[in-house]
Amino acid sequence: MNEHAVGSGYDFKSLARGLIPYVLAVVASFAAAGIFIAAMGYNVPQAYATILFTSFRTPNGFVQTWLKFVPLLLQALAFTVPLTAGKFNIGGEGQLIVGAIGAAAVGILLAGLPLPLLLPAVILAGILFGGFWAAIPAWLLYRFGINEILTTVMMNFVSFSLIDYVATEIWGDPAAGHPTTVPIGVGGELPLLVARPPLNSGILLALFAAALVYVYVNRTPGGYELVATGANPRASRVFGINVRKMFLLSLILGGALAGLSGAIEVAGVQHRLIEGLQSNFLLLGIIIGLIARGNLLAVPFVAFFIAVLEVGASALQRTMMIPVEMVSIIEALVLLFVLLSDVVRRR
Amino acid sequence: MDQLGAQIVDFARLVMLALVPYVLAAQGTMLGGRTGLFSVSQEGIMLVGASVGFLGAYLYGSLVYGIILAALAGSLFGLALAYFTTTLKMNQFVIGLALFFFGLGLSTLFPKLVIGVTLQPPLIPTLKNVPIPGLSQIPILGDIFFNQNWMVYFAVVLSIFLYYLLYKTGFGMELRSVGENPKAADSLGVNVSLMRYGTAIVGGMLMGLAGAYLPMVYTGTFTQGMVQGRGWIAICLTFFGGWRPDLILLGSLFFAGVEVFALRAQIARFGVPYQFLLTLPYIATLLVMVFASRRLRPPAFLGQNYDRERRTLA
Repeated sequence: MNEHAVGSGYDFKSLARGLIPYVLAVVASFAAAGIFIAAMGYNVPQAYATILFTSFRTPNGFVQTWLKFVPLLLQALAFTVPLTAGKFNIGGEGQLIVGAIGAAAVGILLAGLPLPLLLPAVILAGILFGGFWAAIPAWLLYRFGINEILTTVMMNFVSFSLIDYVATEIWGDPAAGHPTTVPIGVGGELPLLVARPPLNSGILLALFAAALVYVYVNRTPGGYELVATGANPRASRVFGINVRKMFLLSLILGGALAGLSGAIEVAGVQHRLIEGLQSNFLLLGIIIGLIARGNLLAVPFVAFFIAVLEVGASALQRTMMIPVEMVSIIEALVLLFVLLSDVVRRR
Repeated sequence: MDQLGAQIVDFARLVMLALVPYVLAAQGTMLGGRTGLFSVSQEGIMLVGASVGFLGAYLYGSLVYGIILAALAGSLFGLALAYFTTTLKMNQFVIGLALFFFGLGLSTLFPKLVIGVTLQPPLIPTLKNVPIPGLSQIPILGDIFFNQNWMVYFAVVLSIFLYYLLYKTGFGMELRSVGENPKAADSLGVNVSLMRYGTAIVGGMLMGLAGAYLPMVYTGTFTQGMVQGRGWIAICLTFFGGWRPDLILLGSLFFAGVEVFALRAQIARFGVPYQFLLTLPYIATLLVMVFASRRLRPPAFLGQNYDRERRTLA
């Protein structure tokens, strides 16, 4: 799949050709899900409309979509960047959580600082903590050659206990009734772009990070080595690239991106650390990365599409009583059909 | 018997009880891996096994139906993995992750469709202990090994059987050769695809059973994410066990021991925050991986698809 990662210099024709399998995959998945929805006795056109248009009907739905888009984009990048080097980062969840812990710790400990000092510190802490959490499996891979899929997953489970401990024992807010910390200092909160419904400026950070990653991977020598490593590690080694260092670097970079999404959840959305703030962003991020086939330019668009589906999914449950998992199935089907289109093209 | 002795026996009993999901899922992983198929959907398949196992038992009033359904669901996942990777030659990790998502989604969708959303989920009876006549009368050992539910016996017997099959029969050697060098196996007349389909389906079935064990022994009901990483730990365990049925059984003892210890320590309250005890199985897994990485070798062709028309292997 890595040949798709070298995704620069599209002309219009090849872009259009590239889009066809996506459109077909989406249509096919909706058709398959439609059969399912009809069999369950629900109104199919109404369900489709709810899934697709909830994001665009009300200002609230629109803002909700962008709020979902931010963590999804960053989680997808946290998965895609290591994938460029041929490594699977399944630890975005733990990296987000530990990033959020770092951001909350700084935001609580230095609560008195003014915004120009505290906000950058909170965001930076999230990035560093997320990168650190990925550095552990990255180092295990570098030093002992241990499969990164397994170690990154294990780190997720460790982080669940860590956030529980921090949110109950260290800075727990006993009034909350759910593991939650006290709020961070006001100076650590991301300013709002739109006041009502509230949309924080985390989206600017996320888009900036996405642009930076794109430029790094596609326009710098370091990024070129990353792509070469993923495309053919053996040849890259012969060429003199330190392949293992590339693995290390790509995983830490992924962790930093996931950590940033944790910091944004704390500084932008919750203003405190709440257990469960990671939601199902990891899984969706991986699905997005795989649907985009590792193409960094495609990731934001796929992430937006999935954010629309997710906002539609919760409306589906609210208004039509169709379980949210229905949409998870649609997403998994889109992924499967996109992957299958590779097989069809090969023949 | 003094109190400490009784506690040790109790501990050992619980370890044997906790052993089963690890053994089944890891032997399933091992089987696929021995033919070169590296599945990463264990966690998802186990969740589906737990979900349909629970629902089958709830709907038809008998655990047997639940177990059959879970085995069936697991083998379907195995079949899908084999089809996408062996026939369509798609990337094993990507397909494994996709199937993991499917399992995750289906496992919570099914109970919602069948039972609906309730605050108090219905309970199913748990598996009964089947004392083995004679042997269960042996002091201490009888209690630990021969007075358990039948899946405990099944897990141990299965491991011994798989060891015999893989290392003492011609069929087993052919099976292992597919995971080491499929081209050589192919040239000797071994049907590589068939082997892969077979191990994937049987392996998936074992993972489904491993999942069904959880509601049937521990909780009596299905809860979201109840596998709690056991599927991922099973993969590590398979590496740790050097992809050998006998060592996997021993390794499972270790992981089951850590799990039971973490639970016990929480109840005993050592003064260590319980959150740190909860991380023990995962940290133990990481340490074990470090230890195993130096000594043990996975099958040479693990995780790669075989295309007989290609000239070179890698």
